[in-house]
Amino acid sequence: MFGLIGHLTSLAHAQSVAQDLGYPEYADQGLDFWCSAPPLIVDNFKVMSLTGQKIEGCYVESCFLPEMLATRRIKAATRKVLNAMAHAQKHGIDITALGGFSSIIFENFSLNQIQQVRNIKLEFERFTTGNTHTAYVICRQVEKAAAILGISLSQATIAVCGATGDIGSAVCRWMCHSTDVGELLLIARDRDRLNALQVELGRGKIMALTEALPQADIVVWVASMPKGVEIDPATLKQPCLLVDGGYPKNMAKKIQHPGVYVLNGGIVEHSLDIDWRIMSIVNMDVPRRQLFACFAESMLLEFEKLYTNFSWGRNQITVERMEQIGNLSVKHGFQPLLTFS
Amino acid sequence: MPQLEATSPAMDFQNETYKDAYSRINAIVIEGEKEATDNYVQLAALLPDRLEELQSLSKMESRHMKGFQACGRNLGVTPDMDFAQEFFAPLHQNFQEAARDGRVVTCLLIQSLIIECFAIAAYNIYIPVADPFARKITEGVVKDEYMHLNFGEEWLKAHFEESKAELEEANRQNLPLVWKMLNLVEADAKVLAMEKDALVEDFMIAYGEALSNIGFTTRDIMKMSAYGLKGAA
Repeated sequence: MFGLIGHLTSLAHAQSVAQDLGYPEYADQGLDFWCSAPPLIVDNFKVMSLTGQKIEGCYVESCFLPEMLATRRIKAATRKVLNAMAHAQKHGIDITALGGFSSIIFENFSLNQIQQVRNIKLEFERFTTGNTHTAYVICRQVEKAAAILGISLSQATIAVCGATGDIGSAVCRWMCHSTDVGELLLIARDRDRLNALQVELGRGKIMALTEALPQADIVVWVASMPKGVEIDPATLKQPCLLVDGGYPKNMAKKIQHPGVYVLNGGIVEHSLDIDWRIMSIVNMDVPRRQLFACFAESMLLEFEKLYTNFSWGRNQITVERMEQIGNLSVKHGFQPLLTFS
Repeated sequence: MPQLEATSPAMDFQNETYKDAYSRINAIVIEGEKEATDNYVQLAALLPDRLEELQSLSKMESRHMKGFQACGRNLGVTPDMDFAQEFFAPLHQNFQEAARDGRVVTCLLIQSLIIECFAIAAYNIYIPVADPFARKITEGVVKDEYMHLNFGEEWLKAHFEESKAELEEANRQNLPLVWKMLNLVEADAKVLAMEKDALVEDFMIAYGEALSNIGFTTRDIMKMSAYGLKGAA
């Protein structure tokens, strides 16, 4: 059994989902209510691999909302993640992906220090951030979409926004190791971490966002911010490939400009339909086929009975591990999303 | 639920503001354990085939009560028992009426689900911020409370079909009282570094799990839980 821990994108989204699912009592509740709401399993489903193998899984709604971070309700945010993990473990789920902000909260607030949640001792090997698969999928999206747009990687400048994060640093490693990318621009807030990444990679230019964007043929956006950021599309090159690996994915709506191609990053398409409700709730374009790559990682680990925290900690994703999960991804029928928004 | 040690405030357990709030919270805990002691004796009369087990649960609750009385004495605090009796009065009255009418399902919902889940939530939230003496006592107590919750769950699970309607009605009547009780202690609990949203969340986790173990679906549980919100207004 595999699991997915997820959350909705905003309070307004949560209220509308409560209404749609037939819980009008909860539809007009404010942030206080969500801060005290317990985790719950809202969807059970089966997934078939391209190999014919079938597995069962469920979706655990943590009731976390990004507004909790924006309003500094940190304790509530951390409780949501730990309680959802305890809930998954209590229900006997072997491997669970921490989707959306869950893994970021876990990492940023050092929740690995808290193993005891009430009468449950969390077994961290039952959880994965899913970041290795997400990073792999983003890299493949860059390679394939660039080819579609006629952007030659060897001539291209790629700007990675959020380069020092777990996914961002993995993307940089892949680009340096597995492609002949022309120029790599490293963008992040922490200068020390940027310097360390540059040393590790042996290349890459450290640059401010506003300086980097006009130079980039390809922008990989993997910065984690609860409120997102404004990008002026007029300052971008044409053509420009913009891979939105953030959550929630709102760049496609905000940036509609000729010559700028936005791709929802870290999304895979499965070769077979999945009978579930959850991807319509999070507004995927093709909900029976499309899903977050981090969720797909827990499916891959379940297919392979690899019950281990495959992606864990920070900045430990190697190119070899990305290739390993990538091979499994292809084997079981997942493909990187290549439909421009 | 445990919080990050680094984010827990340094507590001054001898501070007058702390002791004043503690006089009410400690009294509530003592009164809650006393209610439980008496309720299990009454339940034993309603379920004579489980007499020994229920008498044993009652004795445990009585021991818990003495443990929490010691916690108050340890800090030099006199518990405000009048406040606590008033605090429990609505639940107490509903339990007494149900016991008088022989409505064992309602009695079990009030004592074995609501009061036990309330206690489990409060103790789990209190443990990380308690003084060392009270922490030790509370850690011992919370383990017992899970066992008491289990008694009610098992009985109701075995009688689920015939109990379902009465459970829903008892939930409708009593869950709003829990929210009112939480509102009454919100300010005092905050002085003890126990946050209301954490208390509500832990209560809903324990209560939801109990309802699920008994046989209710997720949808049933969400509908039943919504009655709590009616008490929050």
